[in-house]
Amino acid sequence: MSTGWMPGLPAPTRDDLNTCVQCGLCLPSCPTFRITGLETSSPRGRIAAMRAVQAGEATVTGDFTRFTDECLACRACEAACPSSVPYGRLIEAARVQTEAARPAPERLMRRAGIAGIMGHRRMVRLAGAGLAVAQALRLDRLLPRHLRLATPRVTLRGMRMALPATSGEGPTAMLLTGCVMDIAFRPVHRATIDALVRAGYRAVVPGAGGCCGALAAHAGELDSARALARARIAELESADVIVVDSAGCSAHMRTYGHLLADDPAWATRAQAVAAAVRDAVEIDAPPGRPVDGRVAVHDACHHLHAQGIGAEVRRTLRAAGATCVDLGDGGRCCGAGGIYNVLEPEIAEDLGAQKAHAIIATGAPVVAVANPGCAIQIRNHLRALGSDIDVRHPLEIVD
Amino acid sequence: MTTSTGALADRLRHLLGPDRLLEGDLARSLYSHDGSIVGGACGLVALPETTDEVAACMRLAHEAGVDVIPRGSGTGLTGGAVPLDGGLVMSLARMREMGDVDVANSCVWVQPGVLNLDVSTAVAHLGLHYAPDPSSQQACSIGGNVGTNAGGPHCLAYGVTVQHVLGVEMVRPDGEVVVLGGVAPDPPGYDLRGLVVGAEGTVGIVTRVLLRLTPLPPDVRTMLLDFLSVTEASAVVQAIIAAGVIPAALEMMDRNMTMAVEEFVHAGLPTDAAALLLVEVDGTAAEVDTATAVVERVARTHGVRTVRVAQDEDERALLWKARKTAFGAVARVKPSYYLHDCVVPRTRLVEVMAAIGEITAREGVMCLNVFHAGDGNLHPIIALDRSDPDETERAMRAGDQIVRACVALGGTLSGEHGIGVEKRDYMPLVFDHDDLAAQACVRRAFDPDGRMNPDKILPTGTRCGEVGLADTQVPEGTWI
Repeated sequence: MSTGWMPGLPAPTRDDLNTCVQCGLCLPSCPTFRITGLETSSPRGRIAAMRAVQAGEATVTGDFTRFTDECLACRACEAACPSSVPYGRLIEAARVQTEAARPAPERLMRRAGIAGIMGHRRMVRLAGAGLAVAQALRLDRLLPRHLRLATPRVTLRGMRMALPATSGEGPTAMLLTGCVMDIAFRPVHRATIDALVRAGYRAVVPGAGGCCGALAAHAGELDSARALARARIAELESADVIVVDSAGCSAHMRTYGHLLADDPAWATRAQAVAAAVRDAVEIDAPPGRPVDGRVAVHDACHHLHAQGIGAEVRRTLRAAGATCVDLGDGGRCCGAGGIYNVLEPEIAEDLGAQKAHAIIATGAPVVAVANPGCAIQIRNHLRALGSDIDVRHPLEIVD
Repeated sequence: MTTSTGALADRLRHLLGPDRLLEGDLARSLYSHDGSIVGGACGLVALPETTDEVAACMRLAHEAGVDVIPRGSGTGLTGGAVPLDGGLVMSLARMREMGDVDVANSCVWVQPGVLNLDVSTAVAHLGLHYAPDPSSQQACSIGGNVGTNAGGPHCLAYGVTVQHVLGVEMVRPDGEVVVLGGVAPDPPGYDLRGLVVGAEGTVGIVTRVLLRLTPLPPDVRTMLLDFLSVTEASAVVQAIIAAGVIPAALEMMDRNMTMAVEEFVHAGLPTDAAALLLVEVDGTAAEVDTATAVVERVARTHGVRTVRVAQDEDERALLWKARKTAFGAVARVKPSYYLHDCVVPRTRLVEVMAAIGEITAREGVMCLNVFHAGDGNLHPIIALDRSDPDETERAMRAGDQIVRACVALGGTLSGEHGIGVEKRDYMPLVFDHDDLAAQACVRRAFDPDGRMNPDKILPTGTRCGEVGLADTQVPEGTWI
């Protein structure tokens, strides 16, 4: 039986697809289904579409691409699934297929953005500087609304904020400096270094640094993702622990072993690095300062659904004396989804506005957000609603 | 009946816009299935948002002479929402609005796409809940619940959907909107509301439902009893009720099911037990204490191994999660399942469990049992891999024999899932031709052209007026 998958590329496997019994218990957990009510934008529907391709009844172009593009890859469905369908693995494999099948010009644009810029630290910094200048001159107002909502606030001063090469004493903890984090969120890096020192580590900021490859992997650009993974492994593998203060990056780096499993020269090294990854909220450092009052807590999908991290954020905040307030939305995705808010602006806007309303309803002056994509989306949607609620990484709040 | 879908598509697109009419091959194929293993072929999918839009769609389908198949969340287990041969699927998943709660009368109007659990969540602050709680309650819709007259663990004490639907607004096959029932307890004339509940979308499309809301019990206690034999566990079910306690819920799970579920929920279920009983009692604190004592005493005289009482709300929620995610957990064993939801009189549980064990052993298929033991509503789940034709054949054979065994013990076909396609051809086991023809007449009175969810419930070929063709096949003492 011939399938509709493009040959010679990773694809969703029959065994993984077989784990779904179409019970539909995933439907209400899916943010895109909640908005559209469409089977085509539900996890069960996307799996059924993959099965249709598997059975040779459909191809990976056209509607199939549209249905998979619409997925946030938030993996909220995995927690709801009684059969433990490996949905994250399925959707990433499906995206390798849809990327390869995309028309050349469109593919080139996406590649230029994801691999061309994110893959090279200099390009990321150049883009960041360009953005900072544009924002200083208020030229960003010329951008379409959805791009403005997806753009971080960047300043040249923030980009140049100094990070000490080494601090503290103890086992070596190396920091992933990353791509977006490096240009827009250096204060978070600073707070993470402080937390590491308080927890008894020697915090090391590697010289070059760069992207972990998560955005490339989520977009189906596996070659770029693997190249970036190898670069990060070479850079970070000498550390006792590798500390990552972005939920999306820590979740992705924990899959390095899987990503490079078929690469004999790197498979073992990749597994070792994946095992050494700690999300910054898992450090368990004593608080740097007391925090009074209420802190709203946003759970990043890449924390809650991908890594089962939720209690750690609250423990970190409570240790400083804060009162944590949940958003009461069951941890629904904020719509950032890596660069989803750029590619699928309509759904992203609905989800971003819902999240901002939920945060405002808590009455807290600050919201803890441990992922850069979420922080950008949430901050911009709060500002769009006229709210000045502070958006901070939990470690910044207790720093 | 699908010849005119081209022209119908143009008119529906004009009405709903291109985003709410799905015409592509892949999209339509996703609407050719529900939660069952029944597959079909979908012509068009419309996603109306208001009663007026439903009525307009129905008028257009009426004029075009096209079949209409209503669909809620598509979690059904009998193929009830599957379009068998083209036609217009009306997905009500975008009709998700809840009206204001009528606190004085404890009821609320909701649109059919509202999810079952969302109703209880939305009214919890008023000390109320919507009592029928199908295991799929997080995902299944009120419209689907009305269509199948859905049950659930707590229906033992509280009653099934029909006891909790006070009224419905329905669009008839020609587009006319009617309201049946209402807040008044006993409207005059025939109880057409009662007929619509459980009609599986064969008499019209329900566009609003008036739900009865029930006070949350002041106290509740959940117990897990484990047994070394299925026979003992089955006997306890009957003994508890004979002792004068009607638990809010009384559920059984056998060892195969327990093992599959425990792997997902990690609730500390004893995977070496032959059968578990999940018993919940509710009421005032004193009532709960008394009922708990009776359940424990009866269980001990029937060889219970351990009695675990949930110590807090978290533990209680975990035990219920184990029960309510059971179907999905079957995928840990095999990629598909086939099940019936026959009902037998509670007094025959011991015999029917033995019969199911024998049948599945003889056919060499794996059966996982999890069911509403208190009202004798079985769910023998036969796990299978549909890519293995031999195993599929044996599973179907085993299912068939189980249905026949249940009927022979005085049982009936379905407790809550509905008849749909899955059990349609078993209808002659419990009804003779006169009975079926009479039901076809009722259906025709609402849907003269036979366009509403065709080929569901009644066996193909059943016609109004076709009477007296065969002798009754109902065994003596059948409990329907």
